[in-house]
Amino acid sequence: MKSISRRALVLYSIILLFLAGCGLLFFNLISHSEEWAMNKANKHLYNSGSLATAGDILDVNGEILVTTKNGSRSYNDDKSIRIATLHTVGDSSGYIASGVQSAFKNEITGYSLKDGVYNLQRYGKGNDITLTLNAEICKVAYNALGNYKGTVGVMNYKTGELICIVSTPSFDVYNKPKDIHTDTSGKYEGIYMNRFFSGLYTPGSTFKIVTAACAVENIPDIYEKEFVCNGKIQVGEGYVICSATHGKINFEEALNKSCNCAFAKIAEEVGNEALTRTAERIGFNGLGFVINDKINCSNSKLDLSNAKLLDLGWAGIGQYTTLINPCQMLTAISSIANKGFAVSPYLVSQIQTPNGREILKGETIELGQYFTEMVADELNVLLRSNVKNRYGDNLFPGIEMCGKTGTAEISDNSEAKPNGLFVGYSQREDMPFAIIVIVENTNSSMSSAVPIASKVMKAIKNEYTQ
Amino acid sequence: MLKKTRNVNLYIMLFIITLFQLVCLFTLLFKAEDEHRLNIFVSFALYILVEYLYFIGTRLILKRNGFEVELIAFLLTSVGLTITASVYPEATMKQFIAVVIGIMGFVALQWFMRELKPCIALRIPVAVIAVGLMAFAVVFAEYTNGARNWIYIGGISVQPSELVKVAFVFVGAASLEKLQSNKSLTKFIVFAFACVGALFLMHDFGTALIFFFTFVVISFMRSGDVRTILIVCTVALMGGLLILLFRPYVANRFAAYGHVWEYFDTSGYQQTRTMIYSASGGLFGVGIGNGHLREVFASTEDLVFGVVCEEFGMIMAGAILLSYVALLVYSIRHAKYARSTFYAISACGASALMLFQAALNVFGVNDLLPLTGVTLPFVSRGGSSIICCWMLLAFIKAVDRSTYRYGGVRQ
Repeated sequence: MKSISRRALVLYSIILLFLAGCGLLFFNLISHSEEWAMNKANKHLYNSGSLATAGDILDVNGEILVTTKNGSRSYNDDKSIRIATLHTVGDSSGYIASGVQSAFKNEITGYSLKDGVYNLQRYGKGNDITLTLNAEICKVAYNALGNYKGTVGVMNYKTGELICIVSTPSFDVYNKPKDIHTDTSGKYEGIYMNRFFSGLYTPGSTFKIVTAACAVENIPDIYEKEFVCNGKIQVGEGYVICSATHGKINFEEALNKSCNCAFAKIAEEVGNEALTRTAERIGFNGLGFVINDKINCSNSKLDLSNAKLLDLGWAGIGQYTTLINPCQMLTAISSIANKGFAVSPYLVSQIQTPNGREILKGETIELGQYFTEMVADELNVLLRSNVKNRYGDNLFPGIEMCGKTGTAEISDNSEAKPNGLFVGYSQREDMPFAIIVIVENTNSSMSSAVPIASKVMKAIKNEYTQ
Repeated sequence: MLKKTRNVNLYIMLFIITLFQLVCLFTLLFKAEDEHRLNIFVSFALYILVEYLYFIGTRLILKRNGFEVELIAFLLTSVGLTITASVYPEATMKQFIAVVIGIMGFVALQWFMRELKPCIALRIPVAVIAVGLMAFAVVFAEYTNGARNWIYIGGISVQPSELVKVAFVFVGAASLEKLQSNKSLTKFIVFAFACVGALFLMHDFGTALIFFFTFVVISFMRSGDVRTILIVCTVALMGGLLILLFRPYVANRFAAYGHVWEYFDTSGYQQTRTMIYSASGGLFGVGIGNGHLREVFASTEDLVFGVVCEEFGMIMAGAILLSYVALLVYSIRHAKYARSTFYAISACGASALMLFQAALNVFGVNDLLPLTGVTLPFVSRGGSSIICCWMLLAFIKAVDRSTYRYGGVRQ
C-alpha cells in the first residue's frame, strides 16, 4: 500500500501540469480579451463585419453623429455632416483606424474584462462618447474645402479641445463609392486616413514662424537687422529663390511678405543647432501625440544632422526634408496664442455608461512652455501684423486674426502643384481658437487655404461670440 | 491525517447547488419557447428529485458522511443539462434519462465493488467484452464528423468507446491487483494495445490518447516500472510519428494547431469562435441563452467550455476546471487508506482519465493543444459520455473506506 500511495503522489505532477495549462489559458484569455472580443466575427458587436451595436457618438452640442437603430449603426441625417465628420467618427467597418468608433472600440461597446459584453446585452447599447467636435463647424470646413484634398483643424488654444477636424477626400458612409478600392486615378488617395492626425506635409513658409521664433530667441538685434532681397540669395554653394524681389526689408516686413532671402539668411545665422533646438522644444522629432491616449498622430520632423549650409537655408523657409503633422503644428501655433503655454489637444470630452456613470472625462493637460511669454508676445505681434498688413483684416472681420501662409513645393517636378497652407488664430478672448488649413495641389495659399480659413473662422465667430 | 479533514456540510452545499439549479431552471423556462417549457421543467424537476433521493437515501439509510464527489458531479451535470436544455430543448429529456442511467450505473458499480473478489473474477470477461465491443465498433460503426465510433441500435446512438473507458479502468486495476509482476503488466499492455489500436482504426485519436494516458497512469501506479513505461511511451511515440508520416490526412486534421487565427474561417473556426466568445463573457457571463457560441457546430459537446465562459462567465469556468483537480486530489489522498490496491489504482486511474480528458477538451478548443474533439466530462451533451463519467465516479467513491463502512453492506 505504501508504494501505491507514494506513486499516487507522482500524480500531483499531472495536477501541476494541468493547473499550469489553466493558468496559461486564463492568462491568454485575459491578456487577449479585448483583441478577441473586438473581433469582427463577434456577433455580439458586429453584423457581417460592421459594427452593429454600440453607444452613441455626440458632438459638443449633443448632436448625434452616430447611434444604433434596429441593430445597425445609424449616422447623422445631414449628409454634409456625415461626410465632414467621417474620419473623426470612423466607419462601421473599421477601415478608418483613427476614427473614434475604432480607437474607442472597448469604450463604445461598453466592453470590459469584468463584464464582457454584458452591458450591451443589458442596455442594448454601449457607452456614449461625447466629442469636443462641433459638427456644424466641420460642415462649414468641409464645404469650404470643396473638391480639394487636404485637412482643416481647429483647436481651442486655452483648453486643447478640438472643435473641427475635417480630412478630404471623404465619403458618405451611406453611399460609399463602389470604385473606392479599384480606382487608379488617385482621387481616393488616403481616403481612410485622417490627414489631420496622420498626415505629414512640407510646411513651406508656415515654418518661418519657427525660424522667426528661433531668431527672436537667439539674435538680440533681429529687429534692427536689414535684409536685401534680389529675388534670390546665395547660401553656401547655391541659391535660395524668393517669390519676388523685395529689396531692402526689415524682420517684420520679411515675415509679412514671406521673404525667402531674409529667412534663409536668418536660418544661416542661427545655425543648425539653434533651429533644431527651437523646433524640438515645440514638438518636432518627438513621439507624436496620442489623442485621449488612443489616437496616434504622426510627428513633425526636422533633421538637419547632415544638412549643408544651402540645405539649412531651405529648411529655414520650410523646405528641405522638413515635415509637419497638422495636429502638432496646430498645437505649436496654439501655444503662441496662449502666452507660450502649450496644451494637449483632445477630442473626447466625456464617456458615459448607459446608466449615467461617467467613466472618462477629457481634461485640459498642459504640455509645458513652448516659448517664453516674451517671445510668444513678440511672435503674436508679428503674426497679427501679417494679417493686418498682408492678407487683410477684411477676410477675418472682427476676429483679430493672426497667421501665416505657406506654399510648399512638394516635388522637383514643376508640373506638380504646390500645397497651400495657413496657420493662425484669433486674439479675441471670447473665441480662443487656432486653425490650420492644408490644401493639396493648389496654385497658391492665398487663393485656397486663406479663404477656407476665413470661412471657418467667420462661422466660428457667429457660433461662439455674441 | 484523514481524520483531520472535515466533510463538507451536505445540507449547506445541497442548498447552494439547488439554488443554482433553480436559477438555471427559471432562466431556461423564461427563455424557452412554449412547446419546450414542460419538457424542460419535468426534466429538471426530476433531476433535482433524483439528486435529493440520492443524498437523503445515502445519508439517512446508508448513514454516509462524505459527499464531496457526488456534489461535484451533480453540479457539473446540472451545468451540462442547462446548456443542453438551452441549446437543444427538445433533447433535454433524452439527456436527463442518460444522466439517470449514469447515476444508476454509479450506484450499481459502487455496490458491486463492495467486495474485491468478484471484481478480480470478472476482469477477464470484462476485458473480452470490452475488446469485443471495440472490434464490433470498428466493423459496424458509422462515420460521424471524421471519427467512426458511433453505433446505432434501434434509433439510439451509442459510443462504445465511452463504455469501454469504464471497463478499461476496471480491467487495468483488477488485472494488476494480484501479481506484481511483469507478466500481468504485459497482459494489460496487450489489452491496452487492442483498445488504442481499435480507436486508431476508428480515427478517434482523442479517445485513443485518453486510453493511452490512462494506461500509463495505471501501469505506473501498479508496477512503478518506469523503464517499461518509458519503452511503451517511446514505441507509442514512434508509432504516432509513423502514422503522421504515412497517413498525412491525420496530420492535416491538426494543421491549424498553434495558429488557428490564420485558419479563421476554415479549420480554426471552432477554436477562434470559442476564444472570441469566451472573452465576451467576462467574469460573470452574458447569461444563459444570450450567447452566440451556441450557434457554432458542436457547441454543446466539443466547445461547451466556451459556452460556459460566455454564458456563465470565467469564474464558473475556472471552478469547473478545479472540479476535475479536486476529484484527482480526493483519489490521491484516499489511495493511502484504500482497502486494496484495486481501489487505489482504479480511483486514481478514473480521476486522472477525467482530468486528462478535460485538458484535451479545454486546451484543445483554446488552441493550447490540438483540437481532438473529446467531450468535457459531465458537462458536454451526450448520453454515452455522461454515463461513462458517472460510472467512473464510482471508482473514486469506492476508494474512500467510509463509503462501505456503514449500513450493513460491509463492515
